[in-house]
Amino acid sequence: MLRFLLRRLFMAVIVLLVVSFGTFIIGHLTGDPVELMAPENATREAKDELRSYLGLDRPLLVQYFSFIGNALRGDLGFSFVQQTAVSDLILERLPATLQLAATGFVLSLLIAVPLGIFIALNRNTVWDFLATSVAMIGQSAPNFWIGLMLIALFAVQLRLLPVSGYGGISYLILPAITIALQSAARLTRLMRASMLEVLNADYVRTARAKGLRQKTVLWVHSFRNAMIPVVTMAGLELAELIGGAFITETIFAWPGVGRLAVNAVYQRDFPLLQGVVLFAATAFVLINFLVDLLYVVIDPRVKLS
Amino acid sequence: MFRKTSSRLARQLMLSSAVALTMAAALPAPTWAQDNETITIASANDVISLDPHMLNSNHPTGSVIWSIFDSLVRRAPDGTPEPRLATSWERMDDVTWRFHLREGVTFTNGEPFNAEAVKVNFERMNTAPFSTYQQLHDQTGLKEVNVIDDYTIDLVTEAPTVNMLYWLAEAFISAPKYMTESAPDKVANEPVGSGPYKLESWQRDDRLTLTVNEDYWGEAPDAETVVFRVVPETSSRLNELRAGTADIAVDITPDIAGQADSDISSAVYVEGLRKMHMGINLNGEQPALKDPKVRQALNHAVDVDTIITALLDGKTVPIPSIVNPPNNNPDLKRFEYDPEKARALLAEAGYPDGFPLTIQYSTRYAGGKEVSEVVASYLSEVGIQPTVEAVELGQFREMLANTSTKGIYFMGWAALINPSVELVILTCGHVDNSSGYCNEEYDALVKKASQTLDDAERKKLEFQAQEIVWNDAPWLYLWRLPVVFGKANNITYDLRADNYVEPYLMIVE
Repeated sequence: MLRFLLRRLFMAVIVLLVVSFGTFIIGHLTGDPVELMAPENATREAKDELRSYLGLDRPLLVQYFSFIGNALRGDLGFSFVQQTAVSDLILERLPATLQLAATGFVLSLLIAVPLGIFIALNRNTVWDFLATSVAMIGQSAPNFWIGLMLIALFAVQLRLLPVSGYGGISYLILPAITIALQSAARLTRLMRASMLEVLNADYVRTARAKGLRQKTVLWVHSFRNAMIPVVTMAGLELAELIGGAFITETIFAWPGVGRLAVNAVYQRDFPLLQGVVLFAATAFVLINFLVDLLYVVIDPRVKLS
Repeated sequence: MFRKTSSRLARQLMLSSAVALTMAAALPAPTWAQDNETITIASANDVISLDPHMLNSNHPTGSVIWSIFDSLVRRAPDGTPEPRLATSWERMDDVTWRFHLREGVTFTNGEPFNAEAVKVNFERMNTAPFSTYQQLHDQTGLKEVNVIDDYTIDLVTEAPTVNMLYWLAEAFISAPKYMTESAPDKVANEPVGSGPYKLESWQRDDRLTLTVNEDYWGEAPDAETVVFRVVPETSSRLNELRAGTADIAVDITPDIAGQADSDISSAVYVEGLRKMHMGINLNGEQPALKDPKVRQALNHAVDVDTIITALLDGKTVPIPSIVNPPNNNPDLKRFEYDPEKARALLAEAGYPDGFPLTIQYSTRYAGGKEVSEVVASYLSEVGIQPTVEAVELGQFREMLANTSTKGIYFMGWAALINPSVELVILTCGHVDNSSGYCNEEYDALVKKASQTLDDAERKKLEFQAQEIVWNDAPWLYLWRLPVVFGKANNITYDLRADNYVEPYLMIVE
């Protein structure tokens, strides 16, 4: 177990280094942030001054190593554009992001897992056909369309919920549903397929032939095994949501990490961009690690070594 | 048997999740505050910084800074300077301006406003990084700030300038001691000014709330609270307006402006100050563009009126000069749509069969793709072989700075009412001269005008300069960018063409 943890930690460091270097290089390849920051009629001298103030006149590698050095001490630097510590900017957005990600995620599991099992057990019935078709549509319909339709109905027509913004629970409902619907569509289809595969497996037939109770067969032999691919997929979905759901955040004016990241790209705010990417990558590594631990709980055959 | 049992189980599971959903929907809906004392302004972007010397865009950063801070003079919507923290001013000699300051003004932290405060602020503006954003020194040649007494200050420039009052309107004054003694991020987040409002709270990318400054020296604003909300999606901004939860929606594009019209709100069109054009790069890949006849031919080849009707719903007018009204030379003749004449000019210049030409656009201005394609089709009718190309914004701005666009490019210039600044950008080698246009006669006139203090004499020089550059045609002249707002019907306020939104002047019914 300790060896597993150490190996995982080592891998995580490598992943984060590669990601940060990639972000740094690709960011700088896009060009000069000063051109975007300075007003349109700033003089050349004024732009040079800003460049040296931001440290952009130093060689690239020097800039990278000073970033890594500071990051190791827990200092992610100052945002070029907002002149505020990057870590503060990310932490400020964290509650909103986690709230939306967690609610959307739980909602999608609450829909997907029972529904997936139900239609797997009732395959080729009207229910199966209906649910699969709806899931298909849900998966293909773009997020922004679903979001706009929800706003048009619940906020503008019925005036039951606010159009957009961040505040109490009423503000959370529509964006969480928007996220949950798409994610649930994907997970439902996976749950159904996975369940069907397990139900047709030899060991389930054997278990049934042994005369075990249906409940035991379903929960002990089938459900846990069927959950393995779903847990993997759900882990990825959650990691993605914590990295920011840009489109949903944009439509609902939700102040999350996704919009922070995309704005950093548009404004070439390199320190902020590197900070947000590192944050998202860390979330990804962490959640994958948790998923691995979950495998052990679900399937005793899996050993961590 | 097996299937039946399990499906009952699954049904129960489904039922419980359905209950969860219903419960979520049944939560109490927010109460809609019909409080007349709050104005909500929905914009596409957040404020960048509340450091008054980092002001780099008119809205929303500029609008908030205008509400929290005061400058010496205010710029009226038509460009006229009005007293603000300066009550009056006079010219002492060609290079010295004297300002008499308002007495009895205090900043919201209790510091008094006086001549020393002005001096400290102006000196800070001239240091990095503020000097990149703050243009007072660059644009006026300000070199000395002399305190005469507590409420009198002299500004001395290197050469005579006509731009002093214009740029003073964007030079904001903060509490001097607070500003120089606090960390930069504190100044950027916790502004201390003397304006009609003060900051109550700011949740980045969500909302910024202002509350009325009880000690404001001027007339108290109508609304006690102003909320600047960030709603990045245009249709969501309009939905907020229609649902009654926003009073002003900014950054609306003409194509969906109609959605602002409801029983409680409507779209407001303002003829903008930004002069849209196709910049013509004389130093680009196509040497033919060096010939003024060719550039005139391009202007005759495109039917601007038809494009305005078809693409912009007729909501704007062609630009009358490279200088905005009311300072434009009214005698300039438009390049009428005349493909025959365009072909003749091209033949005269030695290009009877036209030439290949690249048209570039970026995401900076809405409709770049459509405009570029329409212009391309007009140009191909007179024998030119155009290609349309999209360029990423940052790259585009670099190309403009280096005069390295390929051929012609969709551009909007200078939302200003200041002929001196509008003219100078097309002088030889100027940092904003992205078309590489260079005419010494023009340069001399522009320079002379910017140092001529006599109004009538200056106007004459400016008119001459306008005529030269108009006929040399370094641009393919298009239209004034229409500025569109959505406004709740119970708000009385004249929206400005320069996009500054001033909540302290809004009347709520």
